[in-house]
Amino acid sequence: MREAEAGDAPRFLDRLRAGEASAFEELVTTYQHRVFGVALRMLGNAAEAQDVAQEAFLRAHRALGEFRGDAKLSTWLYAITSRLCLNRLASGERRLVRQGEETLLRLADDRRRPDAALERSELESALARAIAELPEERRIVVVLRDIEGLAYEEIAQALDLELGTVRSRLHRARADLKDKLERFLP
Amino acid sequence: MTCDDARESLSALLDEALTPDERRAVESHLEGCPECRRELEGLRETVALLHRVSPAHAPAGFVDRVVAAAQPTPWYRRVFFPLWAKLPVEATAVVMVALLAVYTFQRTPALQQAARYEAPAPSGRAETPAPLGDVRKEQEATPALRGAPPLALGARSAERGRDATVARESKRPTESAPAAAPPPVASPSPAVRAPAPPSVPAPATPAPPPAQSGEAPATARGDAPPMAKTEAPAAKSAAPAENVAGPARPETDARRQALDRAGGASRVAPTVPGVAAKRAPPSADVVARVAVKDRDAAERELASLIARVDGRQTQRRREDDATVVEALIPQSRYAEFSRALADIGPWRVEAERPDLPSQVHVILRLE
Repeated sequence: MREAEAGDAPRFLDRLRAGEASAFEELVTTYQHRVFGVALRMLGNAAEAQDVAQEAFLRAHRALGEFRGDAKLSTWLYAITSRLCLNRLASGERRLVRQGEETLLRLADDRRRPDAALERSELESALARAIAELPEERRIVVVLRDIEGLAYEEIAQALDLELGTVRSRLHRARADLKDKLERFLP
Repeated sequence: MTCDDARESLSALLDEALTPDERRAVESHLEGCPECRRELEGLRETVALLHRVSPAHAPAGFVDRVVAAAQPTPWYRRVFFPLWAKLPVEATAVVMVALLAVYTFQRTPALQQAARYEAPAPSGRAETPAPLGDVRKEQEATPALRGAPPLALGARSAERGRDATVARESKRPTESAPAAAPPPVASPSPAVRAPAPPSVPAPATPAPPPAQSGEAPATARGDAPPMAKTEAPAAKSAAPAENVAGPARPETDARRQALDRAGGASRVAPTVPGVAAKRAPPSADVVARVAVKDRDAAERELASLIARVDGRQTQRRREDDATVVEALIPQSRYAEFSRALADIGPWRVEAERPDLPSQVHVILRLE
């Protein structure tokens, strides 16, 4: 098992803080898909998600020396990524790429052959669309919880929210999604 | 608990994120509320769907890109590569080089003089005596550097006169070069052995060896330096050839042929200004280098040797790495002189006239 997979092994953290290039590479290798996934679900555009994911790792790289270990390394990375995504979504430039958010839908289709799992692909497209249509503050919560699997406490920490706020936003997000995905429900 | 209160907690109930008290209260409500139970089931199914979302994958090469981007930028890239730094630095450098070039040109009459020589049409050169006068004046004013000017003088004279004389010379079958060169600058050499030009304004001091002129600090003089400065190094190697500016005779030896060619060039005046300078005759009969360990001692021994063979030392000049001695040795004693010279140090003839005159003009470079 890689050290980064072990999460916050003290020795790995020490290597990271010491600026060891191989440790940082291990960190990126381990968390790249998760960080990129959050950015993609939030932004809906693969190129933009890649930019944000890279920026998230670079910021982490710069701030590793200050990482005290109060939160898990993964939570810290999610926090950086979430903040970058929300900032970008709130910025004016973001409006220019809104039209590209259909990428999110294509993403689901790209990964499997249509003839093999047409139904599943359709579901994923619907899921992606439904998630993309959520308000941003709810979307990030449901992405972190139901796709990335973070605990409520971790989400609260990453987003700097009260636990009750996390619960409330998550519930509303799920309720929205339930309505949008009703046709896929039994 | 109302349905609204209960539904607020249904999501947390699914995630087992309720406190025991909250959980009991919600479960109690659900037992009596089919609507809320359906809502709970709908949420459970929705969460199950969300769990089926395929995980995203970062694009190939993402790790490499991130790691590369995280590498610290080398100092030279920080300094030279950013456009904001590079452009001003380069622009400043270009401007400074340009200013330096202009400044150098303005402050160095030698360069201007050189440019002036290049500019006029060839036919006009022979009729322009002014630079020559300047050269002479400079020579007189700079005794320490007196050794070098004759070379420049000769070179320039030849250059100026070349176009005027080329035609004449080309028609002459004989090699009466000095006479053919335009007076008063045809032969800057005092040690002319062949038909001496009637109006030779030759300096009192013998022409220096080529090396001498090459190493003279040409920039210290006014007009004179241009030639010496820019062309002296070439003169150093080419000049020995000028020593054979005497009568022509069939030569088979390659070196002699080369010398002859060079000598001929100077006699008939070269067609290229640069070549003229390079081939300026030092007017010596023998040019040799003597490798000595102790220059002072060698100078004394040489002086003594010259006296012994009834010769006359005409000039001695000390340079940084050599002492140049010029002497006139009676031809009858030259053999003896050359033998004895070997005692001072191993020596090597760089140029030698095939027919030595009665007074052999020898330039020795003790180094």
